[in-house]
Amino acid sequence: MAEEVYEKKVLDRISDALIDGLVSIIDKVKPGWRVKNRGRIEEWKLMLYALNRSPVGLLGTSLVVLFIILAIAGPFIAPVSYDTQIIFCDRDARLAPPRTTVQIPDNPFCRKLGLKPGNFTMLLGGDDYGRDLWSRVLYGARTSLVVAIIVMAVGPWIGVLLGLVAGYYGGKIDELLMRITDVFLVFPGLILAIAFSAVLPYRIQDVLSVHPLLADVMRVLFAIKPENEPQLASLLSVIVALWLVWWPFYARLVRGMVLSAKENTYVEAAKALGVPSWKIMFKHILPNIAGPIIVFYTMDFGGVILTEAGLSFLGLGAVPPLADWGRIIYDGSRYFPDAWWLVFFPGLFIFLTVLGFNLLGDALRDVLDPRMRRSIEFKIKKRVVVEEVSSGS
Amino acid sequence: MGANRCRDPIIVVEDLYINFYTYAGIVKAIDGVSFCIERGETYCLVGETGCGKSVTSRALTRLILPPGKIERGRILYYPEPGKVVDIMKLSEEELRMIRGDEITYIFQDPGTALDPLYTIGYQISETMLVHGYINRIKEGISKAIQLLKETLIPDSEQRAKSYPHELSGGMKQRAVIATSLANRPKLIIADEPTTALDATVQAQIMELLRNLKKQRGLTILLITHNMGLVAEMCDRVGVMYAGQLVEEAPTEELFQNPLHPYTRALLRAVPNPLKKIEKLESIPGTVPNLIYPPPGCRFHPRCAHVMDTCRRQKPMFIRVGDKHYVSCWLYSRR
Repeated sequence: MAEEVYEKKVLDRISDALIDGLVSIIDKVKPGWRVKNRGRIEEWKLMLYALNRSPVGLLGTSLVVLFIILAIAGPFIAPVSYDTQIIFCDRDARLAPPRTTVQIPDNPFCRKLGLKPGNFTMLLGGDDYGRDLWSRVLYGARTSLVVAIIVMAVGPWIGVLLGLVAGYYGGKIDELLMRITDVFLVFPGLILAIAFSAVLPYRIQDVLSVHPLLADVMRVLFAIKPENEPQLASLLSVIVALWLVWWPFYARLVRGMVLSAKENTYVEAAKALGVPSWKIMFKHILPNIAGPIIVFYTMDFGGVILTEAGLSFLGLGAVPPLADWGRIIYDGSRYFPDAWWLVFFPGLFIFLTVLGFNLLGDALRDVLDPRMRRSIEFKIKKRVVVEEVSSGS
Repeated sequence: MGANRCRDPIIVVEDLYINFYTYAGIVKAIDGVSFCIERGETYCLVGETGCGKSVTSRALTRLILPPGKIERGRILYYPEPGKVVDIMKLSEEELRMIRGDEITYIFQDPGTALDPLYTIGYQISETMLVHGYINRIKEGISKAIQLLKETLIPDSEQRAKSYPHELSGGMKQRAVIATSLANRPKLIIADEPTTALDATVQAQIMELLRNLKKQRGLTILLITHNMGLVAEMCDRVGVMYAGQLVEEAPTEELFQNPLHPYTRALLRAVPNPLKKIEKLESIPGTVPNLIYPPPGCRFHPRCAHVMDTCRRQKPMFIRVGDKHYVSCWLYSRR
């Protein structure tokens, strides 16, 4: 009998190399891990094979990876800073920070570069202050990513926690928590977020002045210049506002899944074995319902980025001169359609990023489905066996 | 009432009432059940599906989940002779320490009783961990392997690392049994442990339980609707019908001299390998709706010997012979 060999594509080999690299790192930290988790490693590889076989998933993954690279590297590869106004002296483009531009050098040949479409100096064009749109979009990517990560690191987990508790304990606790959730759900999230982010900045300003370290960390994360630190408060208020409105969906989703998961005998068995409730919730129920949560969670990154851009567009969140996709569109909308690039490019970035996260989430649904993995494993193996039989005869 | 039926009880249930508050109405699932289990015996609860066997067994550690509620009754647990613990008065935390340690359960379907995401060894160790016998999962693995050996799982080192889906049904049930033996069990409640398994595996599992009982001096509460299993395993049998205990007798006595009309019908509904194949009887009618249980004796709508009293008054649970009790008006005039 022929040995079963996977028929691998180039991408599969890359995936193999990725996983093998990761595994050897883990194996160095924990010796013997590779041998013990052979099955798990095989599953990981199959997951990536499943992803490789879904064009949509690959597109989503590349868009997301591209976005993350841009967001991390953006402030470093941006030609100029987000608030630099480009001054043009004859054929010399010189850079100047914003407030100095008022005093245009005593050179009759120098002038501020205003609304300009894409050119060699400004790749995507410039805005009314003569700022480079490409640089601002790159900084905007950083803002979006940091906001999305901080919001998603907290908001949904509030919902997961409440949903777990409500679904597991049921009865009056369930009623109470779900009615509170309903109250939040009846308001459109954006409206509620507007209310919160309009009220919060003052309080957050206080907090930031008490904790300068927090302010510094945030400033570095958002790649903001020290002199723009006062503008942080309104950005952070958006984050807090999104925390406050981002949990109800998760509470609903998780509660529903817990209700069905807790009927499994192993939950009752765990109870009968004296496993404490919190342990049953987090070790036996949550991991068993994780699949759909991961899918929804991934897609939701796009949602946060979109909502944050929406809030900035409405004038909440990022304030000038900070770069933020929604804010750039808002500022540029005055000159639309003459300076179309001010609206088009940030919009394109928002669109591609949100699309990327949605496609990735959609592909994860298949990747996380064990039946899908089995069918891929089966297909690959079958094809190889058939080929060998036909070549042998 | 329940206590004086046993000389050295491990558990005594007195006058237990359990209701389920459903949207359709209040289901009176358990209606005044009293019994006791002698230390070291195998006590069987038999009856049709939905008669309250499982609910009764869960109630022994108050494992009744909403919308179910224990209305009243006393459940006394005697960890040692002379020492008594009132289960109804324990806090949730104290109960948790008893569950899985001194009183453990074996559930019907081993396929779902194990969490699919963890290895067998992990799940056995977790039981020891939550009761404080070990401090980390790792420490329990060797004990887990020992237990798997004890439950006659071949290649137990390898099986401890296996996930539930990699095991057969019989092996899974052995693993579940190993889990229930992990600590220092005194009473094992086996709720239809072999219903989901095929006949040969069933015999093996029962043999295993019997041996473990002998070796460790366990008490077993066996819940089943398989009369063959009852004859083979049990010392005493309690017959339940519609949330009530209708008859209780030592196994031999019950098979030779069944008194309650329901018990008789139940025995006639089971094929008897010793007799020539005759037509099996079924009990006419259906199990009553426990939201509106029939007044008086709950069996009277299906009973062949129904009298006027049966429709009006609930019969007493009376002693009719040595260790033989029945709840029927036919015998209460004596």
